[in-house]
Amino acid sequence: MAQCVQSVQEFIQDSFVPMVAVLCSEDAEKVTRKNNLNFSELLRPFCRLTSEGHMRDPSNQLQVVKNLRISVNNVVTRPSVPSSGVPGHAHRRLLSEVVLTCQPAEGGVANVITAGDYDLNISATTPWFEAYRESFLQSMPASDHEFLNHYLACLLVVSSSEAVPVEKFLKLSQEQHRIQHSGEYTNPKWFIPNTLKYYVLLHDMSQGDEQRADSVYEDMKQRYGAQGCYLLKVNSRTAAAGADEQIPDPWSQYLHKSSLQSQVQLGPRLSVPSIYLLMYRTSEVDGHDSEEKGSLDNTHPLQLDTPSDTPGSLDALRAVAVETKPPPLTTGVAAATSHGACLTLNDHDRIRLFIQEFTFRGLLPHIEKNIRQLNDQLVSRKGLSRSLFSATKKWFGGGKVPEKSIAELKNTSGLLYPPEAPELQIRKMADLCFLVQLYDLAYSCYHTAKKDFLSDQAMLYAAGALEMAAVSAFLQVGAPRPYPAHYMDTAIQTYRDVSKNMVLAERCALLSAEVLKSQAKYSDAATLLIKMTSEDSDLRSALLLEQAAHCFINMRNPMVRKFAFHMILAGHRFSKAGQKRHALRCYCQAMQVYKGKGWSLAEDHINFTIGRQSFTLRQPENAVTAFRHILTNDSQQTSTQQGAFLREYLYVYKDTYFHDVD
Amino acid sequence: MAVCIAVIAKENYPLYIRSVPVQNELKFHYTVHTSLDVVEEKISAVGKAMADQRELYLGLLYPTEDYKVYGYVTNSKVKFVIVADSSNTSLRDNEIRSMFRKLHNSFTDVMCNPFYNPGDTIQSKAFDSMVSAMMVQAS
Repeated sequence: MAQCVQSVQEFIQDSFVPMVAVLCSEDAEKVTRKNNLNFSELLRPFCRLTSEGHMRDPSNQLQVVKNLRISVNNVVTRPSVPSSGVPGHAHRRLLSEVVLTCQPAEGGVANVITAGDYDLNISATTPWFEAYRESFLQSMPASDHEFLNHYLACLLVVSSSEAVPVEKFLKLSQEQHRIQHSGEYTNPKWFIPNTLKYYVLLHDMSQGDEQRADSVYEDMKQRYGAQGCYLLKVNSRTAAAGADEQIPDPWSQYLHKSSLQSQVQLGPRLSVPSIYLLMYRTSEVDGHDSEEKGSLDNTHPLQLDTPSDTPGSLDALRAVAVETKPPPLTTGVAAATSHGACLTLNDHDRIRLFIQEFTFRGLLPHIEKNIRQLNDQLVSRKGLSRSLFSATKKWFGGGKVPEKSIAELKNTSGLLYPPEAPELQIRKMADLCFLVQLYDLAYSCYHTAKKDFLSDQAMLYAAGALEMAAVSAFLQVGAPRPYPAHYMDTAIQTYRDVSKNMVLAERCALLSAEVLKSQAKYSDAATLLIKMTSEDSDLRSALLLEQAAHCFINMRNPMVRKFAFHMILAGHRFSKAGQKRHALRCYCQAMQVYKGKGWSLAEDHINFTIGRQSFTLRQPENAVTAFRHILTNDSQQTSTQQGAFLREYLYVYKDTYFHDVD
Repeated sequence: MAVCIAVIAKENYPLYIRSVPVQNELKFHYTVHTSLDVVEEKISAVGKAMADQRELYLGLLYPTEDYKVYGYVTNSKVKFVIVADSSNTSLRDNEIRSMFRKLHNSFTDVMCNPFYNPGDTIQSKAFDSMVSAMMVQAS
């Protein structure tokens, strides 16, 4: 794999973060709208905590939590991505947009790698892969067999300009309760039955009575306790303030990503007037199919067109030359609008402080309390029922099957546990520990959970437990045990074959490949990545093949030819997925390996494809050069093949140099 | 029975490649080229320890889904690669070894030809016929 910006630990920790939901009242929304942001977007740049937190694990030892990040989202009751294993159409489009917009810089940093007698000029980093990975992990749907994506807490935000804020808080609280417990909504999912509710009074400094806000806040503190509420003052900048003060705009990078994710529209007012529920995905996305049908159809990667195909392909080339390129996808939020125009640097600090307070005073203690509770439950239950169960099994042997397992064993892949099942409690506890970096405890819980699930033949749950057990074993400080790669392999296999859930399998593969790469086990990582390529997703296969190629080149004895071969395969998949520039880049890099080495058939094929791709991307000079290479070698192709090459060359040449004449 | 046979020079360019299903030739070219990586790995691995005792027959280089690739290195670093069909399980190690031995003998005959410049592609009819005898009959 290519070098990534984040280290392995950072990457894994960032993939699984505590999730916090936000319910805002209308007035509070208006306050933040002045900055062209909604409340969760306002908080997003400040979500990485710079200081350390402390918490106690069940054995009362103090643990330090470093570099925690939380994820704040609005409550969205529409399912954004179907929770089946197949990613939806909108999801795929989002991912391809992300990769399309991230191209290598022209003349960017390139390494010269010398391997044997090959001197290769390739870039060592692949930022488009990291962008893909990030948005893939962020948009994973929450599922029932794991609790890492479930919401731990809910921020209830009310503006201080309300007549009776307390009443509003009550209403919001009831609303949250209803969403969680009424059973009407499958999304979002909540971690524990009593979610932490944190009350935020939003005060607009530019308009509004500060005294009144303070007094309301005192009242709230009496009611909810000092640890459960906060007074957040924003919008200190008056409209007339000088424009020469340069306020940094940290929101633009986050908003750019999320505007690709959601065509943000303010949803229609629902019958419950006090809540805005933003719709994250509109049902019909106006727009164009970003998957253009390229001029290369479904051909085998190594196939050259036979002459019967070429008239068709020449027509296709002509068609491409004539049609205009589809206009770029306009994002919902124009890039020119500024964000945070009403906030001063003081406000930024205040928001940062707010998140810190919330996390350290509200979220972490809440998590700690829950871990302790679950731990107590488990210890007591484990002691009693374990011994009874194993005792009955011993006495009654294989004849009688205990009642419990019959009821649960309906169907191995569709096994569902009731939410209060002890196995799920173990899993919940393990997830909580993992989210706050208590990896030792997390590992032991996952291990126990895995054993339970496997004995119950609940394969999906078992795969989840295996995956997380492997990751927590890796992240344990001091590394008492080696990374259990076989856990990951079993998990991936189970996801693919038993549950047919490619999304989860892909996540496993990405995590595992990253870990193996950090341990310099490049060939294992490469095999893993190649196994994950499949017919259903071209973009994913292309990216994984490219990463596998980078693995090969980063080995101690670089396998240059394997790198080149996999680059060619990746290039082919890229062009099938509609990412022409990436395809061209892959083929050019592979060309460096094959150039002048005497493998004429292969070289011809690459040159031909480069020529085609350059032509479609409007780089006619490159196309002409590439085609000319084919013609100048002593070609060993058949005569029909040579005829086809000549025809293509003439067409491209004519188009390039005699364009005005036509 | 082999589906593709290749002779590769010391500098890693092909002296002779022949494959049976002519339409998929490119795929075999790529496979052979990639297998050179594995050959080099094997040579360098063994070379340090016992430089004299290096075995010429390298064995199964790597299996792909449809094919198995076998390698053989001469003392002058000329490599022979045979790609055989996986479905044909009756091919045993000894048969592959004998195929390589025949290849090696024919190759030495080609080298002995005073009109042959080392480094040229092989165009001898005798070599061709020997190779055809080893390949799968085109159906």
